[in-house]
Amino acid sequence: MLSDVSWSVILMQLFFGLALGSIFVLLASGLSIIYGLLDVVNFAHGAFAMLGAYVVFLAVSLSGSFAIGIVSAIVIVAIIGMMVEFFLLKPLYGKDPLLPLLLTFGLSVAIPDLIKIAFGLIGEPVPYPEALSGATTIGPLILSNYRLFIIFFTLAILVSLWLFLKKSDLGMIIRAATRDSLMVQVLGTNTSRIWTTGFAIGIGLAALAGAISVPMMSATPDMGVEMTMVAFVVTVVGGLGSLGGAIVGGLLIGIIVAFTSLIAGEYSSVAMYFCMAVVLLIRPRGLFGEIGRE
Amino acid sequence: MNDKADKRVSRRDFLKGATVAGISLLGPGIPFITKRASAKDDVVKYGTMHPLTGPYSALGADQVRATQLAVEEWNAKGGILGRKIEWVHRDDQLNGAVALRRAKELVEEEKCDFIGGTLSGAISLAINEFACKNKVPYLAYCQSDMVLGSDQCKYGFAFMVLPYSAALATSKYAFEKLGKKWFSITADYRWGQSLLEGWIWQSQQMGGQFLGNVYAPLGATDFSTYFTKIMAAKPEVLVMNNLGADQTAAIKQAGELGLTKKMKIVCTKTAMATIKEVGPAYDENIMGGTTFYWGLRNKYASSRKFIDVYMKKFGQPLEQDGESGYVATNVLLMAMQKANTVTDKEKIIAAMEGIKYTLTKGPEYVRACDHQRVQSYLLIRGKGKKAKNWDLAEIVAEIPGDSIIMSCEDNAKKLPFANIKLPK
Repeated sequence: MLSDVSWSVILMQLFFGLALGSIFVLLASGLSIIYGLLDVVNFAHGAFAMLGAYVVFLAVSLSGSFAIGIVSAIVIVAIIGMMVEFFLLKPLYGKDPLLPLLLTFGLSVAIPDLIKIAFGLIGEPVPYPEALSGATTIGPLILSNYRLFIIFFTLAILVSLWLFLKKSDLGMIIRAATRDSLMVQVLGTNTSRIWTTGFAIGIGLAALAGAISVPMMSATPDMGVEMTMVAFVVTVVGGLGSLGGAIVGGLLIGIIVAFTSLIAGEYSSVAMYFCMAVVLLIRPRGLFGEIGRE
Repeated sequence: MNDKADKRVSRRDFLKGATVAGISLLGPGIPFITKRASAKDDVVKYGTMHPLTGPYSALGADQVRATQLAVEEWNAKGGILGRKIEWVHRDDQLNGAVALRRAKELVEEEKCDFIGGTLSGAISLAINEFACKNKVPYLAYCQSDMVLGSDQCKYGFAFMVLPYSAALATSKYAFEKLGKKWFSITADYRWGQSLLEGWIWQSQQMGGQFLGNVYAPLGATDFSTYFTKIMAAKPEVLVMNNLGADQTAAIKQAGELGLTKKMKIVCTKTAMATIKEVGPAYDENIMGGTTFYWGLRNKYASSRKFIDVYMKKFGQPLEQDGESGYVATNVLLMAMQKANTVTDKEKIIAAMEGIKYTLTKGPEYVRACDHQRVQSYLLIRGKGKKAKNWDLAEIVAEIPGDSIIMSCEDNAKKLPFANIKLPK
């Protein structure tokens, strides 16, 4: 099969892989932030991404603007996330670590069911934004404008996130609380507000992943299941609680999926789990995971 | 909050949890329990299974509504031979093991004399085997290979077209009207492969040029990575041998890359739900196959009568998978009437064999030799931006049932498709 593969095909595949990986990065970095800061394993991550997709559908139907759709998805779903953290997760801190896990698992079933009641079983379409439709041709390469947007937009989001965590006061406190929340508390910071903020950021990233995915697949109540799985695989590959790991892991998995599709399409889903298995065997803490968290 | 260190979830717990969640997320859903009743002598019990949770839940809901309508219509007329029809249904979660448990429950606990439903070729094969062993008549609502080869048995009846029939109908139209050079995207499981066999055979008969195929895993959400190959091959027709969310994503992403303008897309089986989910991108360049579309009401009086009653009751039209359930339920009851018994299964089966009827489309029959409903296959074309509400497509062709089904002798040997070599 490889004989008919030319450089342009390889570059195209790399491009599609990076675009796919960018969505994985957004999903996994949200999951990673939540885990790093709150120690909550968020099984409802994909369900929040799905909510993001539905907010885009509503916003685009009402306003006609995809940009408004994306912004409202992040804001509205992050607010929902804050409420979930404040009212449901907070009472469980300090108790059995399995309780938050069970809670988010319950949410992963309940949220899609609520969407089914509200919107019905058939999904809702969101067209590609007019300005980003079509493709850019560079030599033999035909690059979809929308996928270019996904790659650069994700890059912009990650740079802002990095600047926020490294340079801002709040970001510094979040990083400190990820390392040692007790010490941060002793120093006089209200950690419970930090946790709420961190959860909101993680959920906002999930919503963003769902929002930019929706033109490519339409909003359906069960779309989050696959997204949760991907987020977990990438997080395990990249290393728990590591933002860098989420980025490298996400792009790596995206590229692996793309090239598997080219050579043996039927294995493109399995490839991701195979990669995870290999990483677990060779480096159980993940590519960028901290020692001691295995 | 000073015990954060203690409440750390270890990596091991994380992985354990991930495994548990993985398993449970892949097969979610709460069993659909309907009211339990003991067997009574004065009723006829019919039990059905449908995927009420999972990716085909919208279609499963249609199967339930259509069966309900058929049962209610008969009961309103006084039942069958003086007995009321009691119908129970269960959620099979689109899962073979669950479906088999539900089938056992329906037969052993609910004491159903007849079972039906299901929306997956693979599941229908499993239930068919169960039905044959236990001598319970089973009416499959979905496309199924169960009437082929050694799977065919006295107790199994298939009310949707054979998968290869769908492929023969759509490919015939495609090669005649759209072009001979074709490439396919095939969902990598038995049903998708059956469709591909049909396409390849027809291509050989009609001088088509098969440029290649890519297999995509069931449930794939990204198809962009497959399109590089397809763009290089430059086919006139891009065939989609997939369904549901997979088809939605494939069509949307083909449109994203401008493929829909360069080639025609032909979905061997499509659905109204898919057209709705794709939205305006399901335009005139996209065609799909289906056994039923509500637009038939403008062609047949029987369709008009059926659709109008259904719309009045449920407020929306139904998919082909529901329509086949309506026909199956009706044919079963008509056969009881013809055989003048509700208990003698052998006589009822004999009455179903070769039964002729006109219910939802033109005149049809159930073939006596292999228990396959012989029915036409429709080709519909998207309306793109002009689609409104349920006015989603126009019917461009109706291919007669007899022209897309092989003889019983061939079906018994799975010919000619058993000789087709599928690409790797």
